[in-house]
Amino acid sequence: MTLATLPSQAAALDKVSSLDLPTKRDEAWRYAPHKSLANLTFGQGSMPSAVPGDVDAQIPELDGPRIVLVNGVIDAERSDLSAVPAGVSFVGLADVPAAKAPLLDQIHRSADDAFSIINRAYGSGGALIQVDGQPSLEGQPAVLHIVDVLVPGQQQNASTSRVVIDVAAGSSVTVVETRIGSGEMFGGSNVRTEITLAENATVEHVILQDLPAAQFHIGRVDVTQAAGSTLNARLFNLGADYGRVAYHVHLTGEGAHADLSGLYFGFGTQTLDQQVTVVHEAPNCTSRQSYRGVLDDSSTGIWNGGVDVRPGADGTDSEQSNDNLLLSKQADINTMPRLEILADEVSCQHGATVGQLDETALYYMRSRGIHEEEASKLLINGFADQVMDDLENEVVRAWITKRLGHDHE
Amino acid sequence: MLHVENLTASIGDIPILNGLNLDVGAGEVHAIMGPNGSGKSTFAHALAGRDGYEIGGVATLDGANLLDMEPEERAAAGIFMGFQYPVEIPGVNNMYFLRTAVNSVRRARGDDEISAREFLKVAQEAMDLVEMKQGFLNRSVNAGFSGGEKKRNEILQMAVMQPKLAVLDETDSGLDIDALRVVASGVNSLRGPERSIIVITHYQRLLDYIKPDFVHVLVEGKIVESGDHTLALHLEEKGYADFLGDPDAELSGASA
Repeated sequence: MTLATLPSQAAALDKVSSLDLPTKRDEAWRYAPHKSLANLTFGQGSMPSAVPGDVDAQIPELDGPRIVLVNGVIDAERSDLSAVPAGVSFVGLADVPAAKAPLLDQIHRSADDAFSIINRAYGSGGALIQVDGQPSLEGQPAVLHIVDVLVPGQQQNASTSRVVIDVAAGSSVTVVETRIGSGEMFGGSNVRTEITLAENATVEHVILQDLPAAQFHIGRVDVTQAAGSTLNARLFNLGADYGRVAYHVHLTGEGAHADLSGLYFGFGTQTLDQQVTVVHEAPNCTSRQSYRGVLDDSSTGIWNGGVDVRPGADGTDSEQSNDNLLLSKQADINTMPRLEILADEVSCQHGATVGQLDETALYYMRSRGIHEEEASKLLINGFADQVMDDLENEVVRAWITKRLGHDHE
Repeated sequence: MLHVENLTASIGDIPILNGLNLDVGAGEVHAIMGPNGSGKSTFAHALAGRDGYEIGGVATLDGANLLDMEPEERAAAGIFMGFQYPVEIPGVNNMYFLRTAVNSVRRARGDDEISAREFLKVAQEAMDLVEMKQGFLNRSVNAGFSGGEKKRNEILQMAVMQPKLAVLDETDSGLDIDALRVVASGVNSLRGPERSIIVITHYQRLLDYIKPDFVHVLVEGKIVESGDHTLALHLEEKGYADFLGDPDAELSGASA
């Protein structure tokens, strides 16, 4: 059995030619560039004849194994699986043995928006991570790295890939997904991540989205959490003309905890779209959503964060916050906290703020001799750093710091 | 050192300073006292360069026209203002903020930047001066600081910045007696022949600790009386009643 014959893929391929793309009327896609989305051309992944030179410098140098996908196909030269720690299976989807195919089919079939169907139909490239234990490398908790690179082609300007993460009971792992692109041609990447946490498992999952300004990124992360498990999801949504990541987290076992945070930093005409839904299905689960945005020029930010508390999920404790800094009159933020509560004895808090740079703080810093421009930068970085503080990996932190141009100390 | 002549400040149609005259010589400590709303804080902000005022008249520091300068240029010229309400800046590390401030001023003056290690020594001395613990520098600027900690942080900044002229706006407000003592002794140890200090205060209390060379009374945006420290004692006893609603009081003018 090969992946091409997964039941979910066959069904999706049947549908893909007659798909209805999302419209303004779909709440979760309301601010997406609908017309341009229709110009993305998907198909089976194909490696470009040469990987452009601007790719390598964009990849953070994390210690540990990595899989690099170019247009959804594994780039063996850039991938490094020479030091996969004990307790970890980290393989390309094409190399997954037939016996494990059902694992790949599980969650995949559920999402029914157009880009998920496209991903099912064409996303046969990607990686499967299975973790059993507390993998480490040279005494440090292991970090597994997946890099998704889009190189738009003439025939096909969009790519699809999948990442499937399966963590056994009591195990823990950090996975970093870097999503980048090359060149100035229009195109888009469509990446689907599925994470399954068994009882008491812990996952730190980091997305660094930094595609070029001409391209789109459409990401979707589906998480299923068993009792006592912990998800720490960190999103750095920085690049792309339209950069979107949607999280769908299901807390299915008692006492599961999901902590999601993120930073979006928009310039030019970027639209950065975060869609977060946490579904409390079991009692006594906790969830945190904490997203911060900085929007300059005529960029647009979207934060649509929801908590659904299903019947029986008594003792739910959730908090949502979305704080935004608008640096220009043309910048725009659409912030929408959503709550649906169908259980008892729950505590659900949410808050959103939109502000400008604090003039008084600017004056205070300038009165200390700090030039206006630098004072603004310090304030912006101070705002953004509060998301960085959630990051456990130093290399990832340094990469983001450098990317945001605020190297200090 | 500081020369202020016929300084006016207004916000929209509302005049706040109405022709303020003041000269402060090198090494002198001047106290400016006055009732609420007399323009004390506005005077401090006018010297530090806050936006939002219509300013007229003259203010020079060692001959350089302050009124043409941006706030950061005034800091580089040697002005330091201690804020009545120090601003909280979440996410900006106190130590990094201080070093950025010092290096910005050094750059503007054409001096070399100070290294992190060298700066640590300077900061340590300043912290001892205001009796602050090490952890203080690793916190965000003023974020979650108590009133006393904020004011001590102002004096710490003053010590690190080594200004020519410090303008301390109600540094005593909100301080208990112990914090007041620490802040005052910090200020006193920074007194020197090359450094002038303007202490703006509502109460005579602070002047028991920081003994001024001159005391001025500010009423309705003008200095209406000047004298030595005994003037503060007089004000403590009699209040500002003698100076209020008396348009001729200005005739005694500014001195010093």
